[in-house]
Amino acid sequence: MSTTMPTSRQRRLRTWAFWAVPVLLLLTPLATNAYTQFIINGMLISILVTLGFTLVIGNLGQLAFANTAFFGIGAYASAILSAKLGLPWIMTIPLAGALGALGGFLASSAALRGIRSYYLAIITLAFGELMRWAYLHTKPLTGGTDGLPLPRETMFGISLSDDTLKFYIFLAVTVVLVKATLNLLRSRFGRAVMAVRENEVATASLAIPTARVILTTFIWSGFVVGCAGALFARHVGHVFPESFGMLHLIASFAMVLVGGLGSVLGAVLGAVVLTALPEYLRAFPGMEELFFGLIVAAVLVAMPLGLASLLRRLSPIFVERYYREES
Amino acid sequence: MTELLHVNGLSVRFSGLTALDDVSFTLQEGAVRAVIGPNGAGKSTLFNAISGYVTPTSGTVHLKGQELTKLTPHEIAEQGVRRTFQNGGLFPELTVLENVLTGLHAQIEGSFLDILLGRSKALKSEAENIHRARELLKLMSMDHMADTRAGDLSGGQQRIVEIVRTVASDPPVLLLDEPAVGLSPVARAQMMEIIHRLAGEKGVGILLIEHAVELVMAAADRILVMAAGARIAEGTPEEIREDRAVLEAYLGHS
Ligand SMILES: Nc1ncnc2c1ncn2[C@@H]1O[C@H](COP(=O)(O)OP(=O)(O)O)[C@@H](O)[C@H]1O
Ligand SMILES: [Mg+2]
Repeated sequence: MSTTMPTSRQRRLRTWAFWAVPVLLLLTPLATNAYTQFIINGMLISILVTLGFTLVIGNLGQLAFANTAFFGIGAYASAILSAKLGLPWIMTIPLAGALGALGGFLASSAALRGIRSYYLAIITLAFGELMRWAYLHTKPLTGGTDGLPLPRETMFGISLSDDTLKFYIFLAVTVVLVKATLNLLRSRFGRAVMAVRENEVATASLAIPTARVILTTFIWSGFVVGCAGALFARHVGHVFPESFGMLHLIASFAMVLVGGLGSVLGAVLGAVVLTALPEYLRAFPGMEELFFGLIVAAVLVAMPLGLASLLRRLSPIFVERYYREES
Repeated sequence: MTELLHVNGLSVRFSGLTALDDVSFTLQEGAVRAVIGPNGAGKSTLFNAISGYVTPTSGTVHLKGQELTKLTPHEIAEQGVRRTFQNGGLFPELTVLENVLTGLHAQIEGSFLDILLGRSKALKSEAENIHRARELLKLMSMDHMADTRAGDLSGGQQRIVEIVRTVASDPPVLLLDEPAVGLSPVARAQMMEIIHRLAGEKGVGILLIEHAVELVMAAADRILVMAAGARIAEGTPEEIREDRAVLEAYLGHS
């Protein structure tokens, strides 16, 4: 059973397709109303959240659930830096990413002390709950239960409450981070990440510093999700502790699985589909959660490898590999 | 011939059990040294101690005069002592090509930032090493399998890909833990041919754990016989064949 690999022509097509998606998306503000734009902006954030999550649990294979903690850290960092220090919001994005990365570093230190599988799961869940407790109990900084509003701000003379402006910024950040992550995965680094998942002992025998690979993956995951947190802070305009609880974690986990564990394409598909789905389910008031759960379950039963596996079967251009052939 | 590996008084104790008991030997460039002995003799433990996976209780390992004993597994591999695993160490979800590329990890240039930003330095080195990996697969007539998932290969093919991956970086020393176990006679012969070529043409010093006595006698320059963690005999295949202690401890049983 040999995998069908994309030919060089198909690889060029894939490169085109990759860039065509964001370019076409540039036009969406022309065709959408404010509400739809708001939903699409949320999708872009979910793509980054899911991407960071799938890197750790899918590619690296570590049962770490600190993803929502990274997200909250990024969101609060952005809100606090904007509201308390008066930093322009756009500058808080990399800083939120850096603090998310610090969260990733902390989470990885558990894995590197040999805490793995269920133990890593529970300790990273505790990390998330600890962060939520911190948001609630540092009222002067975070506003506690009242949350923290972001200050009014303009960019290029346009208010940052404008969803079209936000869309262009979110899209730029998402494209840059997805592309950078693909660069990482399609390199010796991506292979090392996969190798650690497959056989950590054998990985070390190939002169691959496994501890550094684990550390770096968590840090990059934290960075991506921390940046997403900064986008989220501006997206909703007001951060509350409840946004960063178990519900968010479970929703992100569902996006990872529905898209396909350890797949960048899957992260995008899972985030887009599961962000859009509740909007369609509004037609069934009172049944939304039930239908949502049933649909997620049905997708996972029919396609255990997620929506990305469906596309892979349609065309080799969707096959994701961990090296980069010149096209 | 230069001396590559120098193992001196190596011992490993696991809470009471002496798995490796004061073992010493050297390995020369281009030499094949077999390590034989019954199950539980401590052969794999010897490999684990040399490659840094278990910490020796006492003794030292040197590669070309440089001490390896306190290094971690990936550092020892980087110094040029590479190994395979008794139970197979391939990454089943990666393709054959990707598996071989993991063996070239330390050879590929470019920092994390170079990779992240897709800088040409990293891309160029990646391309060169992909080319190299394909060439290595071609040498073993495995190039048509490059895009196959490693987990889908036959047992014999997996062993060969694991060796290609392990020698991809041209290490001076290679430790093979039962590379021919479970192989068909044809695949075994191919494996022995590969071992001969690596030692004879590339000058790799090879430590080989192997159960099949006739293969060992044919492939090895020198043989180290172990039982209960200790060395019970050492010599050329002819000498070992005549050795009474060996006959009693090992060959007598098989
Ligand atoms: N990590 C370990 N912890 C405890 N005992 C071990 C460990 N590794 C090997 N042993 C024991 O050491 C002895 C030698 O094992 P091993 O080196 O695998 O033998 P061989 O490869 O010659 O069959 C056996 O009794 C084995 O059970
Ligand atoms: Mg063994």
